[in-house]
Amino acid sequence: MIREWTSFFVAVFSLIYIYELSLFASGAKDSALALMRNPGIIAFNVLALLFTLYHAFTWFYLIGKVQPIKMGKTTSKPWQALLVNIVLLLIISYAVIQILVLR
Amino acid sequence: MPRVARLHAILWGVFSMGGFIAAFLLPVLIYLVGIAYPLGLWPLAGGDPTSAILNHHHIGTLFLFVTVAGSLYHGIFRFQSTLTELGLAPAKRALEAIGYLITIVGILVVAYYLLLLNPGVLSLP
Repeated sequence: MIREWTSFFVAVFSLIYIYELSLFASGAKDSALALMRNPGIIAFNVLALLFTLYHAFTWFYLIGKVQPIKMGKTTSKPWQALLVNIVLLLIISYAVIQILVLR
Repeated sequence: MPRVARLHAILWGVFSMGGFIAAFLLPVLIYLVGIAYPLGLWPLAGGDPTSAILNHHHIGTLFLFVTVAGSLYHGIFRFQSTLTELGLAPAKRALEAIGYLITIVGILVVAYYLLLLNPGVLSLP
């Protein structure tokens, strides 16, 4: 059931961020930044990150279960798909930071 | 394949794609916007992440649109099906209608605001 509740945090974070974008677009950048610094919103975001990572890990495991890859006589295990996709998640996250924030 | 079944398959396909987007792209956005910026953590030192991402016109705007729209679709679609499993099955049709309304309006609104923030995004890079 925890898996299902991750969707609540995914959806609510998306809606909050759309509201922040609307503040940015209407020229109220300071209000948008103040909203991001609100302690309640920060606490929600920490929870949202934990639940989103839980969604990610269970999603990766499910991929390995639903679509195992055959390599010769052996078939990949779900935990192998989990590991490979966690590495991929780290690479993608670092690439996003490097390309969109640090560059 | 009947038209309704085909539509159903397409909606589930988009849901699955949203699941991948929420798994691979949403964690870094939540970290940057919701945790690293307000708490002053790496890699942000003072500057706000939304402006930094939007400064990379095409790719930054595309990243925000795909991540927010895909995650919203996946989150709402799954949450309304969770509510029906929690005993709200009699209101399934109403929940689906509200869910799709929020998703469609949300996606249109995020596209509109991103266009306002980056009017040149539709031109070729």
